Amino acid sequence: MRPPAPKPPPPPASSSSSYSRREPRPENPLLLLPSCRAAKLSLGCPLLDRLLSGGLPAASVTEIAGESATGKTQLCLQLALLAPQSPLSASSLFLHSDLPFPLHRLRRLAPKSCPNILDHVLVAAAHSPAELLSLLARAQRLLSDPGRSPHRLPIRLILLDSIASLFRADFDASPADLRRRSALFFKISAKLKELAYRHQCVVVVTNQVVDVVERDAGNTVAWSSGRRVSPALGIAWANCVNTRLFLTRELDGDGAGGSARRRMRVAFAPHLPEQSCEFVIRRDGVFGIEPPQR
Amino acid sequence: MVVMVLFAISAGPTGSSDLIFLLRTAPALPPRLLIRRPVSRRSSADRPRPASHRSSSAGSARSSGSCCSSSSAPPPPRRRRFLAGGSDAGRAVATRRVLDMGAGENNPLGAQNAWDMLSEEQSQKHITTGSGDLNGILGGGIHCKEVTEIGGVPGVGKTQLGIQLAINVQIPVEYGGLGGKAVYIDTEGSFMVERVYQIAEGCISDILEHFPHSHEKSSSGNKQLQPEHFLADIYYFRICSYAEQIAAINYLEKFLGEHKDVELCIYTSQVRIVIIDSVTFHFRQDFDDLALRTRVLSELSLKLMKIAKAYNLAVVLLNQVTTKFTEGSFQLTLALGDSWSHSCTNRVILYWNGTERYAYLDKSPSLPVASAPYAVTGKGVRDVSSNHKRVRVT
Repeated sequence: MRPPAPKPPPPPASSSSSYSRREPRPENPLLLLPSCRAAKLSLGCPLLDRLLSGGLPAASVTEIAGESATGKTQLCLQLALLAPQSPLSASSLFLHSDLPFPLHRLRRLAPKSCPNILDHVLVAAAHSPAELLSLLARAQRLLSDPGRSPHRLPIRLILLDSIASLFRADFDASPADLRRRSALFFKISAKLKELAYRHQCVVVVTNQVVDVVERDAGNTVAWSSGRRVSPALGIAWANCVNTRLFLTRELDGDGAGGSARRRMRVAFAPHLPEQSCEFVIRRDGVFGIEPPQR
Repeated sequence: MVVMVLFAISAGPTGSSDLIFLLRTAPALPPRLLIRRPVSRRSSADRPRPASHRSSSAGSARSSGSCCSSSSAPPPPRRRRFLAGGSDAGRAVATRRVLDMGAGENNPLGAQNAWDMLSEEQSQKHITTGSGDLNGILGGGIHCKEVTEIGGVPGVGKTQLGIQLAINVQIPVEYGGLGGKAVYIDTEGSFMVERVYQIAEGCISDILEHFPHSHEKSSSGNKQLQPEHFLADIYYFRICSYAEQIAAINYLEKFLGEHKDVELCIYTSQVRIVIIDSVTFHFRQDFDDLALRTRVLSELSLKLMKIAKAYNLAVVLLNQVTTKFTEGSFQLTLALGDSWSHSCTNRVILYWNGTERYAYLDKSPSLPVASAPYAVTGKGVRDVSSNHKRVRVT
């Protein structure tokens, strides 16, 4: 006669759910691969998409840096309008710190065919780091509870234009202030990254540039309009973004009145080689152009 | 010539498990003449000098190729006999109580003597970085049982190196790798799976180039040489706050315990590297109390060191760079302050030299300070092409 079978251990299924809530759980990168490839936000131009290997990645923070009038805001507006029609099928949250919000440009860019596309662009203004953080906290509630407005697409795109103008005031160049400032960078970035990861959002942050006067301190440097420039906010902020795109402009020939040649350069990115693509700003948006055949 | 042979006999039920004896093999030594205690101090003179041995193995590592972990380069013949069993020796030694000269009869502390530690260390394989020059300054690659910190400015290749190591640790044993698994703790969100796939493909194509004979059997026998397989053997943790980071590291010990094979002999499916990318990010936000931060961080690094030792794995911590205000000017240093700089065994700084990437070994208990160029290519971290510069020792 066989002894009674030992009591089976409690089924793992029931315990594993509470287990996973309490403990960190590893993910299998192989299972993340399809979504990583699919969830990219196209820039609406095959050449620029090729530069970015498909578009802007979700769950990570992309910085677009460049001096004024290089097309940063234009790109953001374009992305906000593309997101509802893209495979991402998403609303966007446009946080702006520069006044006023470029509503006219947005309307001009909006395709005539779908008049209600502007419903999918949510706009909020933030004028200080503290305001931005409280906005992001509100955004988190909005993102975690998407059922609130069934007619609206879920928010999968967060645009922040621009991070640098939030930090223009209130901060000295003293070490104590710089420390306070960089702590805020990391706080903002951590919040953005958390939202990006938990809700698979594309996050885009624009940044201004500063002239480089002394030896560069490890930050990205590029020539734009004949100046040696570096993205603003220093190396501390550079640590806060995953991908950095640098928009530069060179004046052709004598400059005055001449057309500017604009370039989008991948300064660094975990998934892209350093390369660049020339682009133009047209009435209907930002488009890459083929390098001239030699 | 005197040849030392290492073998073990069971010591019976007296608690101390296996004993290892150093013997001198005279021809036809009768078994009953097995000597219970090491015979003479003279044998220490017969040993190869550790220092010279290390330099010779490091030298060969420098000259050898980039694909495989190279400090398993053949030791001198006498050594090879001593390490009979090859890569298994390290583990075997680790699991035995060692009774050797100097150690007491019962070895009450369970201590190892330095000689055994050295032989164990030298039998260890290292995790190749993908670049032969970089392996050269690191003494063959990233060492298991040690905590290595890698820092550098954004975009210099920290994450690339981290991903590369997570892939390279999986190079199967038959191709000269460790055949282990990786834990990747991502605090910054830079772990792009499509890039990991690319690097895995690059690694596989290099393996096949290095071992051309395996092409024939690759259709049947090399199921594990698939990028998908490499991806699936990374345990990926995405961390969104410092509390989660501490929780993940606390959990790691339990996790590794569960994923350790019961049979010690099979270590193909063990985690052999833990990468934290980056250790810094969440500790630069709102720690007004810097003393608390220092305490939390040093506890964290102690834990990681313990894990590295206990599970025979490499811990790689990626760190950011910050500007430090000293003597009226701003200078670049690795983040987290001075006390943190003591908490890693090795410290590597990645930097730009013009348009070339360089790695600088800043701190190591056993290797000289040196720098070497490396490149980040489509396939991952590699040597700078057509680079025949010598490693510069400063």
